Amino acid sequence: MASLRCLRELSRRATTALSINQTRLISSLPSLEPRGTSITHATPTPNRSLSRDLPWYTRSQGRHFSSKTNDTDESSDGEDDDNDEDSAEMEVEREYSPAEIGYKVMGPLKPSERLFKPYEPVFAVVQFKVSNGDSIFTEKLKFCDINDKLVLTKVLLLGSASQTIIGRPILPEATVHAVVEEHALDEKVLIFKKKRRKNYRRTTGHRQELTKLRITDIQGIEKPEPKIVHKPPKAADTEQPEAELVG
Amino acid sequence: MALRGAWQFQKLVVSYCNWGGSSRGIRAFMESELPALIEKNPQLEVATELSRGQHPYLKGIYRNRNERVVCVKNMDPEQVLLNATRLRNSLGRKVVKLRTRHVTKHPSVQGTWTTAVKF
Repeated sequence: MASLRCLRELSRRATTALSINQTRLISSLPSLEPRGTSITHATPTPNRSLSRDLPWYTRSQGRHFSSKTNDTDESSDGEDDDNDEDSAEMEVEREYSPAEIGYKVMGPLKPSERLFKPYEPVFAVVQFKVSNGDSIFTEKLKFCDINDKLVLTKVLLLGSASQTIIGRPILPEATVHAVVEEHALDEKVLIFKKKRRKNYRRTTGHRQELTKLRITDIQGIEKPEPKIVHKPPKAADTEQPEAELVG
Repeated sequence: MALRGAWQFQKLVVSYCNWGGSSRGIRAFMESELPALIEKNPQLEVATELSRGQHPYLKGIYRNRNERVVCVKNMDPEQVLLNATRLRNSLGRKVVKLRTRHVTKHPSVQGTWTTAVKF
């Protein structure tokens, strides 16, 4: 029974390994054959050696994977979409969509682009309630460097002084533009675990990687026009308090 | 490390020893990866210092006159590159625990709610 279970597990592992990394296995199989083992069945021999080499395969595949994403970062736009869709499916889902994966937009370096407008009384709800000119700390975002423009597409609510637009659950045509300010480490958090009277004590340090984003623009809602404030002439201002004091 | 578009990281000082074994990694980093870093960040000044008999360190000087020193003794060139990139990526602010994740100057757009507000 144990041998049957072993075989089943090995065959399962082999199928998974095969599905992930077909070319590597095919290339390595002829090299594995000469290894003579005492088992008479044909199937266990490749399975056995596969299971032994699995950690190596997964590690190498892991390394291969990271280099693949590096390549996608450097290569052009068209290839990137396909590659990054694959990597996105295999990795964690992204909540935002970077404006351009692949070539980074070095926006605010040009003085002609004035992205940092003065405050506009409009807000949007992404994971946070954001307005123009706010800064937000999030988990470290991949695929973006400093001074990159980001477009956050999943907007839950938009609001201004006169209007509120509620999304169900998201608003399709609303976007929030942000600029990456920094990638930094948070302060060290000490994680201390103890079980009393059981001689168990563990101390771990943890530093979370964060990204700071600055929100520059919110689109999808009408913004109220800025009121032009007429400043009264200064002479009149200074005269009035004196008059009051005298009077 | 760009506050409102202005780069905060001004200078990177690479201090190493040409004899000691703890500087092996940083010496290899200087040959292989430092030129690439300089090219990628033209706004950054990079200086190399020789301090014999001392362990190597990376010193980052920011625009708010803050200095961050990272000791890179006995590290691989890739780790040294990671540390240098981290220095370049961060603002010069002190590493403190964050109070809130959302920093804003105008907390309310439609007016702050009080018990007297009626819809």
